[in-house]
Amino acid sequence: MRAFLATFKGLSRAVGVVALVMIGTTLLVRLAPGYLSDAREMDARYAGIAKDDLSVVASQSRSPSAMVFHEFSTWIHGNGGISRQYGVPVLQLLGPRLSVTGGLLLRALAWSWLLAIVAALLSSAARRPLFLWQIPSTLLLVIPTAAMATVCLIAGFGGPVLVMVLCLAARDFKFLHSTLRDVWIKPHILHARAQGVPAARILVAHIVPAIAPQLGALASLSIVTALSALVPIEVIFNVPGVGQLAWNAAINRDLPVLLAATMIMAVAVTLAGITRVQTDHWRNA
Amino acid sequence: MRRIAIVLLLILIASAGTLLLQPGASYSYQDREALLAPASHQHVAGTDAMGRDRLVRVSAALLLCLSGAILAAALSTIAAAAVGTVGALAPKSVGWATLLLCDVFLALPWMFLLMMVRCALPLTTSPLSSAAITFLVLAALGWPACARAVYRGTLQLRHSDWMLYATATGLRRTQILRGLAPNLLPLLLPQFLVSVPAFVVAEANLGALGLGIGEPLPSWGGMLLELGNSAMFMQTNWIYLPVALLIMVLLLLEAITVEA
Amino acid sequence: MNRRRYLHLCAVAAVLTAASIACACQAAPRLPGELAWTIGYDPKTFDPAKVDDEESEMVRYLTSGVLLRLNRATQQVEPCLAQSSSLSPDGKTLTLKLRAGLRFSDGSSLTAKDAAWSVRRVLQPSTKAPVAEEFLDAAAVTVQVTDDHTIVIHLPRRVIGVEKVFDEIAIEPADRPSEARVTAGPFYLSDYRRSQYVRLRRNPNYRGSGDGFPRASGVRLDVLENQEQITRLFLRSEYDFIDNLPPDYFELLKRKAPNTVRDIGPSMNTEQMWFNQAPDSPLPEWEKAWFRNQAFRIAVSQAIHRDDLARIAYLGHATPAYSFVSPANTTWFNRNLTLPHIGVADAKQSLARAGFHLDGSILKDAQGHPVRFSILTNTGNSARAKMATLIQQDLAALGIQVTVVTLDFPALIERLMHTQDYEACLLGLENVDPDPNAMMNIWLSSSPNHQWSPSEKTPATAWEAEIDRAMNLQASSLQMAERVRAIDRVQQIVADQQPFIYLVYPNALVAVSPQLRGAKPAVLEPRVAWNVENLSMEAR
Repeated sequence: MRAFLATFKGLSRAVGVVALVMIGTTLLVRLAPGYLSDAREMDARYAGIAKDDLSVVASQSRSPSAMVFHEFSTWIHGNGGISRQYGVPVLQLLGPRLSVTGGLLLRALAWSWLLAIVAALLSSAARRPLFLWQIPSTLLLVIPTAAMATVCLIAGFGGPVLVMVLCLAARDFKFLHSTLRDVWIKPHILHARAQGVPAARILVAHIVPAIAPQLGALASLSIVTALSALVPIEVIFNVPGVGQLAWNAAINRDLPVLLAATMIMAVAVTLAGITRVQTDHWRNA
Repeated sequence: MRRIAIVLLLILIASAGTLLLQPGASYSYQDREALLAPASHQHVAGTDAMGRDRLVRVSAALLLCLSGAILAAALSTIAAAAVGTVGALAPKSVGWATLLLCDVFLALPWMFLLMMVRCALPLTTSPLSSAAITFLVLAALGWPACARAVYRGTLQLRHSDWMLYATATGLRRTQILRGLAPNLLPLLLPQFLVSVPAFVVAEANLGALGLGIGEPLPSWGGMLLELGNSAMFMQTNWIYLPVALLIMVLLLLEAITVEA
Repeated sequence: MNRRRYLHLCAVAAVLTAASIACACQAAPRLPGELAWTIGYDPKTFDPAKVDDEESEMVRYLTSGVLLRLNRATQQVEPCLAQSSSLSPDGKTLTLKLRAGLRFSDGSSLTAKDAAWSVRRVLQPSTKAPVAEEFLDAAAVTVQVTDDHTIVIHLPRRVIGVEKVFDEIAIEPADRPSEARVTAGPFYLSDYRRSQYVRLRRNPNYRGSGDGFPRASGVRLDVLENQEQITRLFLRSEYDFIDNLPPDYFELLKRKAPNTVRDIGPSMNTEQMWFNQAPDSPLPEWEKAWFRNQAFRIAVSQAIHRDDLARIAYLGHATPAYSFVSPANTTWFNRNLTLPHIGVADAKQSLARAGFHLDGSILKDAQGHPVRFSILTNTGNSARAKMATLIQQDLAALGIQVTVVTLDFPALIERLMHTQDYEACLLGLENVDPDPNAMMNIWLSSSPNHQWSPSEKTPATAWEAEIDRAMNLQASSLQMAERVRAIDRVQQIVADQQPFIYLVYPNALVAVSPQLRGAKPAVLEPRVAWNVENLSMEAR
């Protein structure tokens, strides 16, 4: 019963976040400059057609509240609305892309965490932290994602996963190193180390439980970083994923598609919150 | 180590300053007969694609963006710390609302807000004020992800023995907060260090929306983004200078803050 | 601390990471005999009648069978599915005779009935075909089938270059529009994966105006925007050509594969800057007064070093421009224009005559307002951003302070077309038709695309009225010499008044794989693919 209640609370919270994000996105896109303009207006040949299309969009978006209501109803009725730039239902556009982006994200998150944890354990365990450990992560932080992707392209080595892994691992490493450093020098661990308790044992018994709650919070940080790195990576590597779609939608003020993309973002962010709750349960058990 | 780092950083800033103040040094003057010139006595690090002295431009960008990004990073980290701790120490419902706000904030497409900001500013806004506004906006948008982590950290501390003891002995809120701050540092420091380069690049990306540092002021992020164009970086090796400098500055910052 | 074990773990992790990274940036495999190149975004439609974007136009060009074709190299209209065409002396009746034995890609025969149906479909208001506008009064146009091979089109009034319009009307099977699945053109659509590729197959029944069916077995158009990727895949022979090469990548390719790049000289396109002269713009009155001042516009034009723009922003791959007709347009280019003399000294004189004066290093108008304005341009075009920065320094020499603002396209268009909230704008104009009649909408003062002051109820100035008259004259005249005189007059007025300050004609830059046979790049779009029937890959 308690588990059911917790799940229900979590779900209703997620629905609340998604609804608020939908309202916010609709308002932001509607009020941003360029919602009621069309690149074809500049081309004398297509200006007439563009004007007709725009008047349809304008009639649908007189009042923001009606717009929000309209968007909600398209989602309730199932197809997510019709994309402004492609003229097809949003769900049809999104379906194949979700799996591409999901796979990319999951692989990148898994590898980056592994890489970051291993590197952070190594770097933080030393008695005096070696400054050298910071150089690779700082280097990766400094190079813009787009530049890293281009370098990979030119070198002909690595793909979107590698670039994303490097981006995420560099950030995660910074946080993990700092958190772990704090744990390693706690008196009970110093004592255990002095007693000659094997490192693996210390790790399992003390280090992991000590940083577990932080890991949940860090996971949401890295998911957010991953989602923001998604756009340049997908655009440069030409990965047919959600990031690429969202970018095109933003450029073309394609509200239905943008809404879908931000809703996915909202779900991802709340999911990160739920993983935290799960770790808490696990710890309490 | 820390002292050395501070001295080195100061030397770097001072040399950038003197370079800029040198007579004849201009970050905007286009020597149109010396495009992409190699290093020479006149242009120590050569010129860029528009014939402007690269070293002078990098120095100006260093001073401008470094101060902007560091300030913005500090502001957003402080905001994250404030929101996180308030959320965690306040009654449960406030904490719940704070987390909800953070989640919503993280998922919204802020790009459109930036467009509105640009729309509200006059087009003739000077490049310098545009830069200042950009960094302020970045600071205002950069806090929620970290605020969540701070919230978690503080919540954990709230149930810790020393905190219970402190509350039981009747310490005042401000005193407890003072005790809390050092415990949050392992989270806030990396956030600050990660934000600095992220803001430097974000500023350049905002150029696409009409914000950011406008021409002819040099933008460090813009110089970093040149690395994404192979047609550019095949031409001269000096294009790596801004990256090298940024890495150096970040490592120095790291050395200064980590040992603090 | 068991450091060794950690290092071991670390090494394993690194190896696994490297192993898990699949390179997702491969082009789709090429079918035998297939050509491949890229388009920037997904075509919005495959219905040839509804095409209203560049990439859909590319697909239409490759798939549609048209009665008449504009030869991109000679810039002359040639018969294609039609055997002959004849226009009555009053220009109101066009008779088209179809070739015998024509078939669609599915094998069904193509008759005058199909041709008439396709033309009528384009003319119907419900189709919303952009081409219909070119008939001026589409509703009154009638199409008549006189026999199996002849259609006669009656126009209510004369349309300049009406034959060219048929280059954009695809003939489809009557009552069976198929969105390019069944065509009478060189190729038909066989497969489309959104955001990945459009695959076309050779139409076995196509007999072009030349010597038979297309050489290539098919075409694959990859949807790819990133120039870095395109260049890389071109160098790996994944693509056969690059159509619109930015100057910096041209130079890059020139270094890496010098035998592939070709600069075919100035294109028909122009890059220009203009001041906002709209009377109802929210600009302060004194700024409107500067922008309406002919001497001010001329001074700005005189101060801009167009040679530097071409040399620096386009790395030499552009030609300084002073008029809307490019030297690539052999019929209409006017060598004898009198132009304002370019130079800072002349610019300063012009400004002094117009009542401006220097206060220290700042230019002020007669009322003492410092002259300061912004130049707006779009994001993502580095050449334009560079030009704006160069102009910034050029105008600083006159004491004018310029800020450069780049905006994304929708935001930019909102300012240009709706709010009129901008001071100066730097943009380009793509000309797909060499005949200046196609620019009617830009020059007529009543048009919404009359950029410097859109949709004027009556011409705001005498010279705008004169442009209106000259443009209307060339649109109704039956004599070529008279049309040329009218366009020359418009060019001269534009040179005198500088409503558009023309900057450069960007050169047409292409890269063509040495293995591609039959490529004869032309200035008009599609630059390399225009003679797609004759293109083929050398066997490797």
